[in-house]
Amino acid sequence: MRSSRSFATMRTQQPGSMPEYQIDPYVILEDDLKDVYDYIRSALRRNTFQDNLYEIATYYFDGHGKAIRPMIAILTARAINYHMYKRESDLLPSQREVAMIAEMIHTASLVHDDVIDQSDFRRGKPSVNVKWNHKKVTMAGDFILAVASMMIARLRNNEVTSVLSQVVTDLVQGEFMQLGSKETENERFAHYLTKTYRKTASLIANSVKSAAILAEADEKVTEIAFQYGRNLGLAFQLVDDLLDFVSSAEAMGKPTAADLKLGLATAPVLFACEKFPELNPMIMRRFQEPGDVEKAFELVHKSRGLDQTQFLARQHCQEAVRLANLLADSPYQKGLIVAADFVLNRMK
Amino acid sequence: MSLSKLTMNLSRNRTVLCSSAIAHNRWVPKREITYTNAQYAKKPDWNRAVSEAEKIVGYPNSFLSLRWLLSDEIANVALQLRKLVGSNHPLLKTAKGLLYNGKNNMQAWGLIVLLVSKAAGHTAAVPDMEEDKSAGVLHSQRALAEVTEMIRTSHLVHKGLVNMQPCVKVEAPGDMIAGNKIALLSGDYLLSNSCVELANLKNQDLVELMSSAVRDLAEAEFVEPRDIQNAPLPARPRTDGKGYEQFVDCTLEPLVVSEALGNARAEWTLRHVLNAGSLLGKSCQGTLKLAGHSEELQSKGYLFGRHLALAWQACLDREPFAGGSGGQFSLVSAPVLFALQHDPDMYSLIEKGLDNIENVDYAAVRRRVLAGPALEMTKNLQRDHSKAALEMLNELPDSDARTALANIIAAMQD
Repeated sequence: MRSSRSFATMRTQQPGSMPEYQIDPYVILEDDLKDVYDYIRSALRRNTFQDNLYEIATYYFDGHGKAIRPMIAILTARAINYHMYKRESDLLPSQREVAMIAEMIHTASLVHDDVIDQSDFRRGKPSVNVKWNHKKVTMAGDFILAVASMMIARLRNNEVTSVLSQVVTDLVQGEFMQLGSKETENERFAHYLTKTYRKTASLIANSVKSAAILAEADEKVTEIAFQYGRNLGLAFQLVDDLLDFVSSAEAMGKPTAADLKLGLATAPVLFACEKFPELNPMIMRRFQEPGDVEKAFELVHKSRGLDQTQFLARQHCQEAVRLANLLADSPYQKGLIVAADFVLNRMK
Repeated sequence: MSLSKLTMNLSRNRTVLCSSAIAHNRWVPKREITYTNAQYAKKPDWNRAVSEAEKIVGYPNSFLSLRWLLSDEIANVALQLRKLVGSNHPLLKTAKGLLYNGKNNMQAWGLIVLLVSKAAGHTAAVPDMEEDKSAGVLHSQRALAEVTEMIRTSHLVHKGLVNMQPCVKVEAPGDMIAGNKIALLSGDYLLSNSCVELANLKNQDLVELMSSAVRDLAEAEFVEPRDIQNAPLPARPRTDGKGYEQFVDCTLEPLVVSEALGNARAEWTLRHVLNAGSLLGKSCQGTLKLAGHSEELQSKGYLFGRHLALAWQACLDREPFAGGSGGQFSLVSAPVLFALQHDPDMYSLIEKGLDNIENVDYAAVRRRVLAGPALEMTKNLQRDHSKAALEMLNELPDSDARTALANIIAAMQD
């Protein structure tokens, strides 16, 4: 804990605000994004003649998602294409594929998470595990991943296949990290950040990295893309963890304090520990005793945990903006900056 | 064998294959393996056939090597599994079955892939440096064999989840939730590692092929009808006697399901190609791909693996009906499907289990199976697939690895 605290205070000097641009990434990418879900559904349709499988596998590809992963992947792809080729900067079909694949890998992991967490609602509708047999749901997740892997293979790019299969491993290892609470207080924050990278940031970072590789970007640009995605992804999850304590169940499409109920100590709780060490035993027992969830919720609000979480998220967004500014000026590059602002200021 | 046929075989082999295995065997007259000589040759017992085969390819070949056991994730799984001991979660049964399950242990799958690899050798296009000299297979082929085992194990582990939908009553829900969590994650762990191992081979045709095998396994669990715990039951037998042919190609496309249902042999084939034959077939095809062999030989490899998996399945399906055995049997095993085709009224017994297969009177089903020709038909089914697998073996030069494969097939016969 001490290390994370000094990390936070060290950077407390200049919060700074995001520059504002009149660009909405969803508007400039409207054409690119409008068919994402249709395309994914048809890829799944081509891979099974069984309607019962198709129905489960496509349940979360209903077009109501924010498609944030495809949006970031395409935005970065276009910004990099412009950076490298100026006028000849059309989105490559393979980069579009990567955007779809990112969403598919993400959804496959959501489907499995729902079985693991026994969740009730997702995106404002009953989650898959409520509607269907858990064995079928699990297999539907495997199916989505298998179809995504076939799509990856068809890009016929060894490096992209390596990068994207690393994402799959990261997701699972992140989930494993979430199981254990063996880490000591000192290790806890580092453990949390690694878990956050694996569960959320890796997918975003490596999908934009893939888009850069497909553009044949050099190592430096590829690394900029990766780091942009990594920082954005970390910020995204930090804000998510923060919103779990503040937004209403209605806005999130899932109940609040859901993480505490699952026994998970996220950034707000870990920060709150500094002021309220009594949270430590609760963390160790995964908030399982009666009253733990309510008490922890209250202590987080009494502490500066939410501010500090917001602050850390801001740090990562600012780093993402700095990286985006290394790319040639274009509407898409501006879009990357706006996207970082979106992530920081989203309310749900 | 006539001299002319012998020379023809040798020259054909030399054009199709040019490998260390061939060079090694160049002066040895080629022996044809046929169903009869494989069957009546000294009949090896299963365990011996397998353990001798393991020596040929340098065992241990299982991915249950130290590398895996020492990973953090698996240590975590072991910890969680220990908590489950004493509970009823099927994951425990799955874990036990993986380690020892008679003729169906998981090592055998990787072993087959390695034997095929060694029997076929590799073409001159593959640098000798990439070969594991002591075992006579490529390092990439050994990795593929591991991938095969990981994919198969992952699928079995995922199949062992308990359905805990709100509408289903389960005993000891706490244990079941914990067990499901660990089963799901362990399966995912294996699957994700197989993705990385495959990616490391830097062969995108292979990645696509093996991913399609994962897809097929997932598809297998959706073939209806299913009870509340997703256990499969036979479809109502069809009396229209319409023939049904598929499964002749080796393709990346998904299989058409609905037309096969209700037709005993087609339904059995469909179900088991999806949940077994596809993976073993595609693994054998893939290993020949890695060795640089022609598309034509790769297809033969696919067919070999598929036929072998089906022969194996037919063999396993017969076991619970063997004299003196009173073991549990699967309702979609070949004897039950053939019995239904012969005696469609028997479906009334099956229908009782549409919600839960435990409501089926298994003793009654067993009597009906034993009364008809179903077991004989299953024996024929196994023979057909064994024969077909052996025929494919003749595409490869005579070698100790080929003999080991033939022995394994022979050991499956009674």
